[in-house]
Amino acid sequence: MKANEQPVAEQASAEDRPQPQPRNTFECRNLSVELRSSGGLACICRSIDFEVREGEFVSIMGRSGSGKTTLLRILGGLLSPTPGSTVRYYSEQVDGPPRGVITVFQNYAASLLPWRTVEKNVALGLEGKVSKDEKAERVAEALAMVSLSKRAKDYPWRLSGGMQQRVQLARALAMRPSVLLLDEPFGALDAMTKTTLQDELLHVYEQTGATVVFVTHDVDEALYLSDRVLILQGDPSTIGESVAVQCSRPRDQIETKQSEGFLTLRRKVYEAIMQGHD
Amino acid sequence: MTAATAADPDRAHQPGGSDQAKSTKRTTSAPRLRGLLPLVVLLSVWELVGSPGSPFFPPPSTWGSALIGLWENGALLAAVLATLTTFCIGLGTATVVGAVLGLVVGGSPGADRAMSPTFEFARAMPPAAMVPIATLLLGYDETMKVTVVTLAAIWAILLNTRAGVRRIDQTLLDAARSLQLGTVERIRKVIVPALLPAVFLGVRVAAPIAVVITLLVEILTHVEGVGALIAQSQRTFQPARVYALILVAGALSLLVNGVLGMVESHVFRYLPGKADGSE
Repeated sequence: MKANEQPVAEQASAEDRPQPQPRNTFECRNLSVELRSSGGLACICRSIDFEVREGEFVSIMGRSGSGKTTLLRILGGLLSPTPGSTVRYYSEQVDGPPRGVITVFQNYAASLLPWRTVEKNVALGLEGKVSKDEKAERVAEALAMVSLSKRAKDYPWRLSGGMQQRVQLARALAMRPSVLLLDEPFGALDAMTKTTLQDELLHVYEQTGATVVFVTHDVDEALYLSDRVLILQGDPSTIGESVAVQCSRPRDQIETKQSEGFLTLRRKVYEAIMQGHD
Repeated sequence: MTAATAADPDRAHQPGGSDQAKSTKRTTSAPRLRGLLPLVVLLSVWELVGSPGSPFFPPPSTWGSALIGLWENGALLAAVLATLTTFCIGLGTATVVGAVLGLVVGGSPGADRAMSPTFEFARAMPPAAMVPIATLLLGYDETMKVTVVTLAAIWAILLNTRAGVRRIDQTLLDAARSLQLGTVERIRKVIVPALLPAVFLGVRVAAPIAVVITLLVEILTHVEGVGALIAQSQRTFQPARVYALILVAGALSLLVNGVLGMVESHVFRYLPGKADGSE
């Protein structure tokens, strides 16, 4: 185990996308988080530094309890880090959810409003902000993007889990977000639905050009979707690895996942996650 | 903040989820009529055995005629309206005040610690015991009636709302914030609708209590209403009228329950099992 720690860490810093330096969408410096727990304050993350570039698809991985969701909540402005931490969205310090940054939660059932139909759920963030016509247009467009146009008038409980999660995604897309924060969005879905939704998400990502930060505990999912995978390690956690995924886009569930590059990265990420645990 | 544990005594059942609500939904009219059989038998036996001159058990056939006088001079209608007015204002006030207090207490642990012991104490006080003090402080009038009814009905609504607030999932609030909803919008579009089932369940529990207490206050204080008429008829030895008025009171209670049931199935038609023809 010890022997392969070093080379992995070295490769991780080498980013080789030949692009004109894109802007940072998120920039975190010296980020620490303490959460109240039964035994007083528990330090979840300590001195984390990372950035997310504009248009990038970044996944955050780590063992359970490593603070993946906490980190995402901080980027989404739903949780405040310890004083002294810096979290910037473009040049603005994040305090409260930044405009254009929408979080999609794992628990779709708890995040949709059961008393609203699908289309009214999708319209929630637009009400009072855009004209009636524009609202209708954007709702229809978002529902079309997740292929749910036919279920617009249904209440959420009539939909399957995968469809409900699509509704939540559509609700985010209707806001025309520049950043999507996804917290294990497919974690509660069956394998078939999951792969379908992964491809839909990639399609949406290509169509909208949004920046995506994706939390997951599924290595294949992270590699399949992302440009870069950040791995949280330790307790309190820090970013142990940052693995660039160079597989070409568009990706394919079979081809990409069987390519040699993918398999090598898969091993690397597994080892990074398992590090310090046996 | 998420699900209440099974041991939580405040755990309120969603209106759609309670077994009672579901079983009444499924009952067809035939078994319901069959359920009236014991009552029919009882009244028939009473009719056969009772004598029209009896000071205690006048037969049911005499009850109707005993009401004719009251109906013709308008006293019955006035009494029914007075009782319904007290009931509606009392339950309405209890709903508004109870829901607001429940929201405050459920949302703030500090307020909960400060106020819950008082609530537990006040809840345990029998409303009937408050009548003498209420008449002393407020006199024999409508305000006094409404106050007693409100105080009796408020607890079920307050405690259900409190439990409802605690059951709201943090994810729902986070989602609303992430979608850029302001505080007022979050309360209006997310928190209030999310609490409605819990508040309404409280109202369903409180409504029969409010009916009972309205009649009780009227019987005790003789302030206008069906209860006052019952007490008056009893004191003037008109047993047939007493029985007839008790039937009127029962009918009012059924009416209230029926109306609330209709409101419930309309407002909560989005819930699974509420929508017609879906399951």
